[in-house]
Amino acid sequence: MPEPLRVIYSAFRMAMLHWIADPQWIIPNIIAPFVFTTVALTLFKDSTGPFGLYAVLGGGMMGMWGNTIYSSGFAIEFEKWQGTLEEVIAAPSKLIHVITGRAISNAFFGLTNMIAILIIAVLGFRVSLGIADPLMFAVSLLLTLLSVSALGLIFASAFVLSRSAQALTNGLETPLYIVSGSMFPIALLPFWIHPAAYILGPTWGIDAIRLATSADYVSQSFWSGMSPAMAIFLDLTILILITLTYVLTATILFKIVEKRARITGTMVQA
Amino acid sequence: MVGSSRNTDSGKAIVAEHLCKVFNTTKGILRRTKTQVVAVKDVSFEVDYGELFGVVGPNGAGKTTTIKMLTTMLIPTSGKATVLGYDCEKDVTKVRERIGIVLGGERGLYTRVSAVDNLNYFADLYGVPTSIRDKRVKELLDFMGLADRAHDRVETFSKGMKQRLHLARGLVNDPDIIFLDEPTVGLDPEISIETRHMIKELVEKGKTILLTTHYMFEADELCKRVAIIRNGEIVALDTPSGLKKYVMDTSVVEVEGYGITEKEVARFKEIPDVVSVSAELGEDKQVLKLQTPKGSEIIAEVQQILKNSRIYDIKIKEPTLEDAYLRLIES
Amino acid sequence: MNNFKIFLSSAVFSFRAQFDWLNPVMWLTMKFVLSVSQMAFFVFVGIFANAPIQFIAVGNALQSVSWNTVFSVINITGHDKWDGTLPLVLATPANRLPLFIGRAMIHVLDGLISAAISFFFAAVLFGVNFGQTNPLALIVAVVLTAFTMAGFGLLIGGFCFFFRNPMVFANIFTFTLLIFCGVNFPVSSLPLAIQPVSYIFPLTYGLSAARSAIGDVTIAQPGVDLIQIAPTLAQQLAVGLAAMLIGYLLFRSFENNARKTGKMEAV
Repeated sequence: MPEPLRVIYSAFRMAMLHWIADPQWIIPNIIAPFVFTTVALTLFKDSTGPFGLYAVLGGGMMGMWGNTIYSSGFAIEFEKWQGTLEEVIAAPSKLIHVITGRAISNAFFGLTNMIAILIIAVLGFRVSLGIADPLMFAVSLLLTLLSVSALGLIFASAFVLSRSAQALTNGLETPLYIVSGSMFPIALLPFWIHPAAYILGPTWGIDAIRLATSADYVSQSFWSGMSPAMAIFLDLTILILITLTYVLTATILFKIVEKRARITGTMVQA
Repeated sequence: MVGSSRNTDSGKAIVAEHLCKVFNTTKGILRRTKTQVVAVKDVSFEVDYGELFGVVGPNGAGKTTTIKMLTTMLIPTSGKATVLGYDCEKDVTKVRERIGIVLGGERGLYTRVSAVDNLNYFADLYGVPTSIRDKRVKELLDFMGLADRAHDRVETFSKGMKQRLHLARGLVNDPDIIFLDEPTVGLDPEISIETRHMIKELVEKGKTILLTTHYMFEADELCKRVAIIRNGEIVALDTPSGLKKYVMDTSVVEVEGYGITEKEVARFKEIPDVVSVSAELGEDKQVLKLQTPKGSEIIAEVQQILKNSRIYDIKIKEPTLEDAYLRLIES
Repeated sequence: MNNFKIFLSSAVFSFRAQFDWLNPVMWLTMKFVLSVSQMAFFVFVGIFANAPIQFIAVGNALQSVSWNTVFSVINITGHDKWDGTLPLVLATPANRLPLFIGRAMIHVLDGLISAAISFFFAAVLFGVNFGQTNPLALIVAVVLTAFTMAGFGLLIGGFCFFFRNPMVFANIFTFTLLIFCGVNFPVSSLPLAIQPVSYIFPLTYGLSAARSAIGDVTIAQPGVDLIQIAPTLAQQLAVGLAAMLIGYLLFRSFENNARKTGKMEAV
C-alpha cells in the first residue's frame, strides 16, 4: 500500500495546483469571513483592548472554517465533478488519505483571509500586532489547522452519506463562527452553548494562538491564573485529544462510505 | 515481472466464479418503493496470463458491472472474483496495486492541470517507487506520443490525446493486468485504430488484457477469446472463429432499399428459414440483414415482400462475428 | 391581461426553480437558523465591543431580506443559463418587462417572511424594545426595502447575464451590504471617502427609515410616523426603480447581444 504521508502530500500538492489554476474559487468561501471580520474591526475601532488580536486571528480562524465547510465538505463531490472519483477509488491508496491532503490544503488556503484582514487592519485601522512567542504561535496555528482539517474529513464523509447534511451547509457557517469563539470570548455566550464550544478542537486552538500572541491574554483565556506556557500546554493537549477523536470518527465514516460505494455502486445517499 | 506478483501458480490471471450483482433502488418521493435491478445474473469465466480476452454485449448487458466486480470497485452480491490469485473482495489493496483500469472516455483526468502532474499524482496514489516514478511517467508519455505536450493543461488536449493520457494513467503502475472498458467508444476512426494498435503492443509486452466493447469487429480483430453477455449472463464463450461457427450454416443476405417499414421486417421474421433479421431503418435508406441457410434462394421471397419498396442492392456475405453475436443475442 | 399572466407565471416558475430541491421543513428550518445566527454573531461582537445592541439587532433584522431579494434574485440568472432554458424563454414572444420583474417578486414575499422572523428574534432573543414603534411606518419601510432590494438584485442579476457564474457576485453583494448600509454601525463610521457608496443601496435608506419608525425606548425617543420618513422612502424608491430599470436594460442588451453573436450559454 502506498505510504500515507506520500499520498497526503500528493493530494495536497494537487489541490495547490488547482488553486493556482483557479484562485478565484476561494472567494465565495471567504467572503463571509472577510466581511464579518471587517465589520468586527469597525465595531472594535473605538474600543480599547486587544481587539486587533481578536479581529485578525479570528478572521484567520473564520477563513479556515469557511473554506473547510465548502471545500472539504465537497471534496469527494469535487472528484465526482472532475470525473475522477472512480479512478481515485480504484487506486490502492486509501480514500481518506487522499481527502486528508485536500482538507489540509483547504484549511491552509482559508488562512488567506487572515492575510487579507491583516493588511486591512494594519493599513486601515492601524492595528499593531506583535507576536510574543513565535514558536508556540506557529505550533498552535499548525495544530489548529490540522484540527480544522480533521473536521473537514468528517464533513466530507457526512456530506456523501447524507444529502440533508449537504443542504445544511448554508446554515452551518455562522453558528460555527459563533460557537468557536473566533471573534469574541466564549464567556459572552449563554452557558448552554458552552459545551458545543468546548467540543470543537479549534476553540482550544485559537485560545492557544492568542496566548502565544499576547502574554496579557491569559486572564481572558480558559486558564486565567496560570502561566501562559502552562495554559498553552493545556490548550494544545486538549486540542490534540479532540483532534484524535475527529480522526477516529472520520476513519469510521470513510470505511462506511467506501463500503457503501462498493455495495451500491454509488456514493451519495439518494 | 509477471510471475513475481502473483499469489499462486494456478495459471489463471482472472477467475470469475458465478458472479452476481443485484442493485437495490428506491423510487418515488412520497411512497418509496424498493426495486431490485439484476445487473449481472451469473457470469463465470477464466482468463489466462498474456491473453487478450473480450467481453461483448449490448448496452445494459452487465459488462461494466462485471469489470467493476473484477477490479474491486463493486462487491458481488454472490460469487467470487479472483485476480492474480487474490480475492477481489477481501484482498482489495493487493489487487488494486497490480491492475490497471481504464474506464473509457476522456474522463478520469484533472483537466485544469498538466499531463505530467496527472500522471505523477496517480503514480503516487499507486505507490510507484519515487526512484522510478519520473522515469516511468516520461516513458509513458513517450509511448503515448504526448511527450511534447507533457506540461500543457489537459483541457487543451484533443479527445484522442485525452484518451491516450487516460490509457497512460492506467499503465502508471506497470500493471500485470489491464481492464479496458469500451476503450474506443466515441473516438474518431484514426484514433481508434491507433488505440487498438497500442492494445496489441501491450499484449506483446506480456500484459493480460480484459476488454469490453460493443464493436464486434474490434473483438474479432483483437481478442483471443470472446464472451458474449446478454442480460447479465454469458450466452457464449469461444474464440472468434469458434463463435462464427454458430452461424456457419447460414449466410447473411444484406438488402439495401427504400420504403421498407416495420411491417415488412415483421413479415421477414415470420419466414421459417430466416433465422434472424436485423434492420436499420434510416430516413434515407433502410438496410436489412437476414441470416438464412437458404442463401440466394431467398431473394425471390425478398423481392416479393418488398414489391412496394425500392431495392437498391442485395448482397450475400459470409457471416461475421457481428452476425454470430446478433444471432446469439436474439436467441 | 396577458402581461399579468406572464408576470405571474414567471414568478411561480422562479419559486419552483429555487425550491424544488428543498422540502418545506428544511426550508423553514434554514430560515430560522439563518435569521438568528447572523444576528447573534454581530450582537455578541457588539457586546464585546461595547457597541449598541439594538442598533445591531435591528440592522440585521432588516438586512435579512437580502438573502432572498438579492442573493436568490441574482442566482435566477444562473439557474436559467445552467439549465439551458434561457434561449427557450427568450424565444417566446412574451413581453420582457413582466417576465423580468415577475421572477423577482416571489423572492420579495420570501424576504418579507425572513424579515418578520428576524424582527421577532430581535425582540425576543436580543431584547430590542419595540414599545415606541410606529407600526405602519415600520411595515411600509420593511416592505419597500424588500421591493427595492429586489430591484437591486435585478440590477446585479442583469449584469451577471454576461458572466459565467453569478453565485460569486451574489455572495459578494449580499455580504457587502453588511459593511455599507449601516447594518451594524452607522454609515458615518465608514471613512468619509467611502460613505457616498452606501447610498446606492436601497437598504441604507430603508434602515434609516426603519430605525426612525422604531424609535429608542432607552432615550425615550418615540418612533416617527409615515409622513416623516416619506422623504427617505421616496429616495429609496427612486434608487430601487432606477436599479430595476438598469437591470432590465442590461437584460435586453444581453438578449440582443446573444442574438447577434449566437452566444447565450454560460458566457
